[in-house]
Amino acid sequence: MNRAAQERLRLHGRVRGFIEESASGGETSDDFETLACAIACYQADHVPAYARLLAAERVHPRSVTSVRALPAVPTDAFRLARIAAHAPSDDAAIFRTSGTTGAARGEHPLSTTETYECAALAWGRWALFFDAPPALTAITLGAGPGDSSLGFMLGLFADRFAVRAHRTTAVRGAPIDGADLAAVCDAASRADAPVIVMGTSFAFVHALDALGGARFTLPPGSRAMHTGGYKGRSREVAPDALRMDIAATFGLDTDAVVGEYGMTELSSQLYEGTLRARRGLSAPSSQHGFFVPPPWLRVVATDPDTLEPLGPSEPGILRFEDLANVDSAIAVQTADLGRCSGGAVELLGRAPGAPPRGCSLAIEELLAP
Amino acid sequence: MTRGEELTIEERVGRVHDVLAAARRLADPNDPLGEEARRLLPAATGLSEAGVELGLSRHLETSASDEDLERLVARAGFAPRVHVLLSANVFVAVVRAVALAVAASRSVRVRPSSREAVMAPLLHRAAADATGGAPFAICERVESSPGDVMHVYGRLETIDAVERESRPGVRVVGYGPGFGVALVDARSDPLPLAAERLSWDVIAFDQRGCLSPRVALVHGSVADAEAFADRLAAALDERDRQVPRGALTDDERREQALYHRTMSAVGRCHAGATFIVGVDPAPRALMLPPSGRHVHVARIEETSDLARLLEPFQNAVTCVGRNDPESSMTRSLVTLLRGARSLPLGRMQSPPLDGPVDLRGML
Repeated sequence: MNRAAQERLRLHGRVRGFIEESASGGETSDDFETLACAIACYQADHVPAYARLLAAERVHPRSVTSVRALPAVPTDAFRLARIAAHAPSDDAAIFRTSGTTGAARGEHPLSTTETYECAALAWGRWALFFDAPPALTAITLGAGPGDSSLGFMLGLFADRFAVRAHRTTAVRGAPIDGADLAAVCDAASRADAPVIVMGTSFAFVHALDALGGARFTLPPGSRAMHTGGYKGRSREVAPDALRMDIAATFGLDTDAVVGEYGMTELSSQLYEGTLRARRGLSAPSSQHGFFVPPPWLRVVATDPDTLEPLGPSEPGILRFEDLANVDSAIAVQTADLGRCSGGAVELLGRAPGAPPRGCSLAIEELLAP
Repeated sequence: MTRGEELTIEERVGRVHDVLAAARRLADPNDPLGEEARRLLPAATGLSEAGVELGLSRHLETSASDEDLERLVARAGFAPRVHVLLSANVFVAVVRAVALAVAASRSVRVRPSSREAVMAPLLHRAAADATGGAPFAICERVESSPGDVMHVYGRLETIDAVERESRPGVRVVGYGPGFGVALVDARSDPLPLAAERLSWDVIAFDQRGCLSPRVALVHGSVADAEAFADRLAAALDERDRQVPRGALTDDERREQALYHRTMSAVGRCHAGATFIVGVDPAPRALMLPPSGRHVHVARIEETSDLARLLEPFQNAVTCVGRNDPESSMTRSLVTLLRGARSLPLGRMQSPPLDGPVDLRGML
């Protein structure tokens, strides 16, 4: 094993240690900045795209004490170049962005899925499975996992937290077989064990359409997790309305409908703290629309013009510093508008810019169906 | 003759000539209306004064060959009444939009954009001063009837909305957004010349036109692509001194910052005061930079690269600029982008007045 591979294994081990220690509420052996800067040094040496970015910005991880002083890799770069510290022959998995937007798909290669799994399970447990629901049934809406990180994560949750798992199927051109889903929900409603219904927001929209207004009362302790937007995938439904519809359809309290925020380019996720708060557990935010990052993921809003970090509560476009991204980019810059305060991130959608002038194609339009 | 009767070819051509005559007045800085256009358009468009002058003096259609007018008339079709809904478009586009409409119908009503409500009324005033009066009317509201045709310029969502809300029997013809792609064959013209020409295409209307080049494909070596990007950056720097860029929107500024950083990671980035030229020497995919004055330079080796890279954009490219019309790469690109205009570098923003700018679906 060469030195780079040894270093990679060491870093993955340190990050998993950080995740496990911090998730259990204990002291961590590493501090965030030390570990983040060590990962940034490793990536500067082994991720050519990151090395180019650092050279262009005339900064090096060895000369800083905080990862915040380093440039973040924009999500678009994952579409245009390989962002990985290891060779393709060492890929254990490649997660890809949705292929529905017409543009090339972004790729996030991983040399191991262990760290991703560790992060996903730890924070999923914090937000969704903290009560270790007994005899849980997992219903996953939508197609198989394919190569999406979300599909991988939902499969992981079903494997680790549920005793029964059901994945909906497509039928006669419809994305979700409503009769099949109704039968599963009926059976689950009669059982004495809680259920988690999981899927993307557009999968929930399709599911609600497929169920045609049917109502179920899932057993006490049941919950739902939804994530992502709808652009180009289904009719658009406002988040509040979708949450109400999900709650009404499955017989859940709206606080038990938990939003997740994640992306292919990250290895960690954020969740609304509504279900925890409902059960009397601590959470930095108990509001819908506010997403709580885990201790191994730091989020800061940045100035849209300069990409420089902004102060707390100032709205800007979000930058993520994710320790679990050992193999790719410790810091990822998105175009999502948000505000960070009180340990949670409020998502604000797209920047409220003036309407585009002229007839040049807007990037947004390219993303339209 | 009632409004429902079809125009003769001669009448159609004559009506277009009336519009061009009016446009000539606006192009003339010594004409009171030309002076008024120069005074009002910077605020209405966001362009600098020099940017407006460039549009009026270099890109405003003021004449056309007989052959081009023949094609325009043929493409215009006929309608008893045409409504033209303008967007906050490239301001000179008003002339072509009106020309196309008056060639199609005796009764033309033009609704200016609320955000750029200068050019269409000025053109109307210039035309109204002529002996026969203006061949079109300006209106604030569209009141369509069955049989009418609506020419809608704007974003896809605008066109879709008009289509949804239009009365039964009204035909909506949409002219949506797009962008231009330049193809530079490194073995043809010297690269500095190609860069110089392309820079003029880029700066026109601060790249907000549907013909504006935002991607340049360089057929050649990595060194060729990088040399072209160097020269293009130098040319854009020079253009900025001659024709300063206007103000950017919030979205444009944000996308500019993200594009700069993305290309710093992916390849190389030449950033000037008002432009970015990003270079991807081994493109896995193409990135569309924001409008403003930014060009994404990607090196291509084989004709198969074209399909691979342009597949997601195939229906969005309205114009191909090229420095070698006879090269196999150019022929492959034009074939791939069926419907896109093919124009020499430096002329991408001045297509012949032979129909709508966007010929997609017509070729």
